[in-house]
Amino acid sequence: MSSLYERLGGEAAVNAAVELFYRKVLADGRIARFFDGVDMENQIAKQKSFLTMAFGGPNSYTGLDMRNAHKRLVAKGLNDSHVDAVIENLDSTLRTLGVPEKEVREVAAIANSVRDDVLCR
Amino acid sequence: MTLSPGETVLEALLRAGVETPHSCRAGQCQCCMLRAIEGAPPEESQRGLTEAQKALGFFLPCICRPTAPMKIVPPDDAGAPQEATIRAIEPLSEDVVRLRIETENFAYRPGQFLELIAEPGLSRHYSLASCPEEDPFLEMHVRLHPNGRMSRRLSADLRAGDKLHIAGPRGTCFYEGVAADQPLTLIGAGTGLAPLYGVLRDALRQGHRGPIRLYHGARDSKGLYLTDELQAFARARDFTYIPATLDTGGDVATLALAAEAPRAAHTAFFLCGGENLVKRLKRDLFMAGASMKAIRSDAFTPAG
Repeated sequence: MSSLYERLGGEAAVNAAVELFYRKVLADGRIARFFDGVDMENQIAKQKSFLTMAFGGPNSYTGLDMRNAHKRLVAKGLNDSHVDAVIENLDSTLRTLGVPEKEVREVAAIANSVRDDVLCR
Repeated sequence: MTLSPGETVLEALLRAGVETPHSCRAGQCQCCMLRAIEGAPPEESQRGLTEAQKALGFFLPCICRPTAPMKIVPPDDAGAPQEATIRAIEPLSEDVVRLRIETENFAYRPGQFLELIAEPGLSRHYSLASCPEEDPFLEMHVRLHPNGRMSRRLSADLRAGDKLHIAGPRGTCFYEGVAADQPLTLIGAGTGLAPLYGVLRDALRQGHRGPIRLYHGARDSKGLYLTDELQAFARARDFTYIPATLDTGGDVATLALAAEAPRAAHTAFFLCGGENLVKRLKRDLFMAGASMKAIRSDAFTPAG
């Protein structure tokens, strides 16, 4: 069976999802403040990296990167409720793009698996 | 430096002990980006970069397996300074002067910026309003600050015939990756008009067919400049010039966003001016549906 990444449409799917996902995240009052002052171009590249990982695609994910990237945000109060909000926005992005329920749940499960790294636990 | 078979440029650099930022190693995060100044990077190694970045030879070393020699530099490398001669310093408005200089072999795209070095320890970045295909000089627009060191040099000491140095060019705010029939919107304030003027002329020279709109913000009408030239373009082409001055209630960002948001998804944007203006416009246009790849920007940061 093909990988989740391939079933979703590979890099083209990541490209279609990344701006929509980031727009939803920036419009979400629960988490938008964590992106204050962040360079948007840079951030979109990171969102691509995250979505490639969430889709189970080619990446060299290391928990260490994720911890370093979020350390500053944890100090600013990042917690489980914010990770929930991000995954909710990811779900809604995929649904908007017509991804079937089964794949949406698989993506959410992968995203959820990095929760402890993101929250530096 | 010679690469082992199958090795990426990033692997080779790390093996050689070169400290270079990197993270995902899969061509995603773009934090390892470098630039080739000789030799073309393989297409695959430019995946996901903007057309402007590709045109300048930027590539991702973590997914780059070169097939021919390349000379590579860090992404913000400006190269060695070269000598230039001042040709003219003339007023454009009450506090903006036009600086024209001549130099040899300075390849650039209108809208990029260079570093102007008046003397050791006194240098500033200025955007290029000239077109290499049409102008035998480099043109910059310099706002004169009463207490600025470079401003004082330009207004009091330097004159035509004097020498100074320049380095660069840098920046990706130029006409590349825009479809000829796509709406093109240029928004700037103050001397942010310089790169926009360069981009506008470059777009027209390259046969841009879509509608072009240019918003130029200033505190009052005395802060506007090049108005005659812009009005002449507006009479001759599908080009709309929209000056916005604060004293008549027109904040350029508010005015431009109200008009541009409904069509943001299909428009190519160029944003130039102070950091706050550029950040606000970039964010709001993106949220209104503009693709980040269709937004090019150049934010000025004040210098002492």
